[in-house]
Amino acid sequence: MKIKINELSAMSYRLGALNMRFIRMLVLVVLVALAGCSAIPTPEVREDVSSETSTEDGAAADVIRIGAAVSETGKYSREGRDTRQGYGTWLEWVNNEYGGIDVAGKRYQVELVMYDDEGDPDTVARLVEQLISEDRVDFLLGPYSSSLTQSASAISEKYDKIMVEGNGASESLFERGFRNLFAVLTPAGNYTQSALKMLAEQGAQSVVIAYEDTAFPTSVAEGAQRWAKAYGLEVLGVETYPRDVADVSGIMAKFKEVEPDIFVGGGHFNDAILFIRAAKELDFNPKAMVITVGPSNPKLVQEVGADAEYVIGPTQWEASMSYEDEYFGTAAEYAARYEAQWSEPPTYQAAESTATALALHLAIEAAGALDTNSVRNALRELDVVTFYGPINFDETGKNASKPMGAIQVQDGEILVVAPGHAAVSELRYPAPDWKDR
Amino acid sequence: MDQVLQALVNGLLLGGFYAVMVLGFSVIWGVMGIINLAHGEYLMIGAYLGWGLFRYFGMDPFAALLLILPLMFLFGYVLQYVLINRIVERPHLMSLLITFGISIALANLFKILFTSDPRNVSVTYNGSVELLGITFPIVKSIIFGAALLCMLGLHLFLQRSRMGKSIRAAAQNRTAARIVGMDINRTYAVTAGICIAITAAAGAMLSPTQAIFPFMGPPLTLKAYTITALGGLGRIPGALMGGVVLGVTETMVSRFVPGIGTNLGVAISFVILVLILILRPQGLLGGLRPVDPEAE
Repeated sequence: MKIKINELSAMSYRLGALNMRFIRMLVLVVLVALAGCSAIPTPEVREDVSSETSTEDGAAADVIRIGAAVSETGKYSREGRDTRQGYGTWLEWVNNEYGGIDVAGKRYQVELVMYDDEGDPDTVARLVEQLISEDRVDFLLGPYSSSLTQSASAISEKYDKIMVEGNGASESLFERGFRNLFAVLTPAGNYTQSALKMLAEQGAQSVVIAYEDTAFPTSVAEGAQRWAKAYGLEVLGVETYPRDVADVSGIMAKFKEVEPDIFVGGGHFNDAILFIRAAKELDFNPKAMVITVGPSNPKLVQEVGADAEYVIGPTQWEASMSYEDEYFGTAAEYAARYEAQWSEPPTYQAAESTATALALHLAIEAAGALDTNSVRNALRELDVVTFYGPINFDETGKNASKPMGAIQVQDGEILVVAPGHAAVSELRYPAPDWKDR
Repeated sequence: MDQVLQALVNGLLLGGFYAVMVLGFSVIWGVMGIINLAHGEYLMIGAYLGWGLFRYFGMDPFAALLLILPLMFLFGYVLQYVLINRIVERPHLMSLLITFGISIALANLFKILFTSDPRNVSVTYNGSVELLGITFPIVKSIIFGAALLCMLGLHLFLQRSRMGKSIRAAAQNRTAARIVGMDINRTYAVTAGICIAITAAAGAMLSPTQAIFPFMGPPLTLKAYTITALGGLGRIPGALMGGVVLGVTETMVSRFVPGIGTNLGVAISFVILVLILILRPQGLLGGLRPVDPEAE
């Protein structure tokens, strides 16, 4: 009996220890499960007209199915929303106003199937596979950002599906020999072209370049060096910095010594703030600062205030540009339509997304067929001017014909200063020293 | 020579900020043995407070410290009492899990509240002053001064006050401190309150120099970890030393190595970390070392 009690207590003790371990395991399992949950496909967003007619082969009567995986959550949630709304603007217009895509005399309504890629390259690849093999879409539109486009387009290429995109600017996307990827936006290497050209014409002689060592800024900076050479600007220094950099004053102090006319900063929004702050703090006075991504966004002026004055930034599109087409009218008319539908003005990410869908639409009509080969050939032949600018794909699928615009912050407003025909204001050059502002 | 001096000044100013940024992390680790993975998020909260008070009430971020310090002390005290105290004496994994959880929850909460649009505080005096041929950035110089004040205050508090002595006692030997009748839970809560308040203050000081966004925390936590390992746990001179070594190294390398200087500076700080861990695992200046192995 005694022994039994001892055994029992020993057992319950062991049970207790087991229990503790069990609880710990349970916590871990729950955590892993929670992490897993976020990877479960989110319910799809269907902005369709009617899908009851869709059949196994997808080429259902009178409906063209187009698929896209675009961030709704994750780090690109803001830009992803612009992209979705841009696609949505075209969808609304093509189905309700235009009367469907005209394929060899027959009108097709469009069904758009969109999923949330969460900003994750693996998720976007999985979703594109799902769009192709389960939803049986006929064509694909691109996600937001170069890195997601990189992974999404690898899948569409594997299945020989056309993907037209407007939010992946890195040149590396088009150096892979893909036959089915087409981009309507100006590639990253050309971002600084019009700004540098204009500054060279104004008498600038030298340039320094600082950029983050990731795909898109690297493309921008390599392009900037190329264009600097082309326009006779002397490159006095090139510096890289890592992602999540906390301080760029080392770079700026070095640049201050060489007294360049132009500073080019390739990076993302946060870097624009760092560059401007560090330049002012160190009293570094280039005659012009050209910075990617930040300046074209009204948020920069809102947060940085008067120090953002005179800063120049590349832009893919602005509503004040003078492009127009027979579909959406002028750039300004497009902006008005967009604002009526989504109650906020379009960013250039939204406009290029609408232009992406429009390019696919026009190619399908020109091909008069829905098969990949015909539409691919039609995309290669495509040569149009839209509200977003000229679209004419080169043999790799880039839209090399569209010049990049440049804006300058003037009196707190973002105004287009280049290229000439789209400009609404004169460039202010040189910028005064920080002390004289 | 001027260039070297200028780089040295920039490095010192950066180092001063690093030091105040790391204080809270270092003391919490030293006193409770908790590696606080939510440290960067406390900086983020401080930065958002600084930004919010500036944007909506027109308060200067440095004046706002008077409000942010007590507010975040309260936040830290309650957080410690309600949540962290329960796992202080559990295995390390628990505190890592819980602080990691707090960091994710806070970052996403702030994303919902403020969206992920980056913010910045635009003070009017963010220019520079030239002195003896060297350019002093005004805001960073103020940060440096405020950082020294914070460190001096905390140092005096820990060395001189009764509460400070309790905190050091709890750090050295939890069991003995209990035996002589100290309320460990309260001591820990006060420690956390002070540490989180100083951390948030550092965040608010950061707000005029950098972009503020909900996911800015993790790289700062990593930096804090490096500096703490450099300087030693829970020692204020150690934090200052670690911060300054890192700041000066990063600035010097990025100033004088062409092309990849900034990248190399960050890499070198980790090389220093590895060397220190091999040669002086207790940190450059040593640190608070718990006496009983259980508290380790």
